Amino acid sequence: MSAPRLAFANVTGGYGSTVIVRDLNGAVAAGEVLCVLGRNGVGKSTLMKLLCGYLPCRSGHVLLDGRPIDGFEPSARRRAGLTYCPQERPVFDDLSVRDNLSLMHAARQLGPLRPYFERFPILERRLGQHAGTLSGGEKKVLSFVRGLAEDQPLVLLDEPSEGVQWENILHMAECIAAKKAAGTAFLVVEQNLAFAERIADRYLVMDQGRAMLEGSRADIDRGRILGHLHV
Amino acid sequence: MDALIVTQAINVVYAVSTLAVLTLGLAVIFGLLGVLNIAHGEFVMIGAYCAYLTQSWNWPYLVALPLTLALCALLGAAVERIMIRPLYRRPFDTLVATWGLSLLLRKIAEAIFGPGFHSVTIPLPGTVQFLGIEYPIYRVVLIAVSFAVAAVLMIWYGRSRTGSRIRAMVSNPELAQAQGISVRRLAAATFIAGTCLAGLGGVMVAPLVPVQPFMGLDYVLRAFFVLVVGGLGSVPGLLSGAAAIGGVDSAISAASNATDGYFAVLVLAILFLWLKPRGLIARG
Repeated sequence: MSAPRLAFANVTGGYGSTVIVRDLNGAVAAGEVLCVLGRNGVGKSTLMKLLCGYLPCRSGHVLLDGRPIDGFEPSARRRAGLTYCPQERPVFDDLSVRDNLSLMHAARQLGPLRPYFERFPILERRLGQHAGTLSGGEKKVLSFVRGLAEDQPLVLLDEPSEGVQWENILHMAECIAAKKAAGTAFLVVEQNLAFAERIADRYLVMDQGRAMLEGSRADIDRGRILGHLHV
Repeated sequence: MDALIVTQAINVVYAVSTLAVLTLGLAVIFGLLGVLNIAHGEFVMIGAYCAYLTQSWNWPYLVALPLTLALCALLGAAVERIMIRPLYRRPFDTLVATWGLSLLLRKIAEAIFGPGFHSVTIPLPGTVQFLGIEYPIYRVVLIAVSFAVAAVLMIWYGRSRTGSRIRAMVSNPELAQAQGISVRRLAAATFIAGTCLAGLGGVMVAPLVPVQPFMGLDYVLRAFFVLVVGGLGSVPGLLSGAAAIGGVDSAISAASNATDGYFAVLVLAILFLWLKPRGLIARG
């Protein structure tokens, strides 16, 4: 069997001398969605930042297609095939929606985005507007579309559904399903269990920086997840 | 129209445009990277000395341009790598570090060229006639080139791909990195562009001012005042700042004397820092 697209082993780290996440393990194979669930402040976003290279791992390793990427800075991880859509400040507020979507495309063509505009027509209507004028949920949709349109083999989404209306959350789930069928691997941080249940193959439930539950969706009891999601 | 008034009006335009071109380098580095490069004036000085050297070697004046750009780029790259890169987002530290750099560069210039003045001959002597007055050709060319440089920079920043990426980096560096932009390299390139623009300004003004090791001091102060009044991050802000500072300075200097002109500039800058710290045209 080939190496998983993303694997992380014994990942420990945080901000400065403060350790937020401890000893986390996980793997995502091609065509698979791993949902990281947990309350606010349990270290989900910190895990994402450790995986993307914004924070250094105190210990542990991150492997992309079996290759260690521990020393890579975030832009190098992107070039190695890892797309990241952050939870906070998900778009360039000072740039137009068009520039947000086409910043890294040599030809600045919006053609490949056509299918996304059909699902999220709001983006096409706002192309000329500064992204800073969008609502929080609209920014999340823009960030989501930008990330998926990058067509990378691995996509990390940090709370993509936050503030997004339910109808668009369903569209997001369908987009993820289509990408997944084409072999993309996803690691999605979520608090919205209803959304997670639509997309996840496997769960990693965190509390206080540690893994509480992990396994396939079928194996994990919903009640136990809810126990960790609600105080 | 009265010839004196026309002459004074063009003098104001000349003062404003040279001020704008001398501020561009500082504006790029301060506005985009948040680094207040106190050694900005010394890069202007390097440009001026390059112009002086070119002339003393009897080379055509335009040779000073590639010479300056090469020197400022090399020096800018080294300074960014060694001094600035570890200090990004530490504004006070970069201020102290670049202040030290300015002292060093000044002393190096003094060691090589001596403490005295050098003058550079105007490469385009003569005058042109228009609106009933005679005006030195070189100053007219300087006005035109200043506006051209500012306009090209503004269009490039607003339209080009690299321009958008720089705006992206300034707006949200983490996200820029997530999209594969090497912020480290782009910031270095931006810093080098700033030092090169400062050098370019030096080549342009060299024939009109005494070239000496301390010349940079005045430029960095004025350039800083321009940014205080105009606001950071846009060419229109820079031009309006240059118009305010250059206009007030040359108007008061013409009506009274140069000391009063400088005093007025200082008062204007203090008023802006106090009452409108984001300047006339703030970014975003």
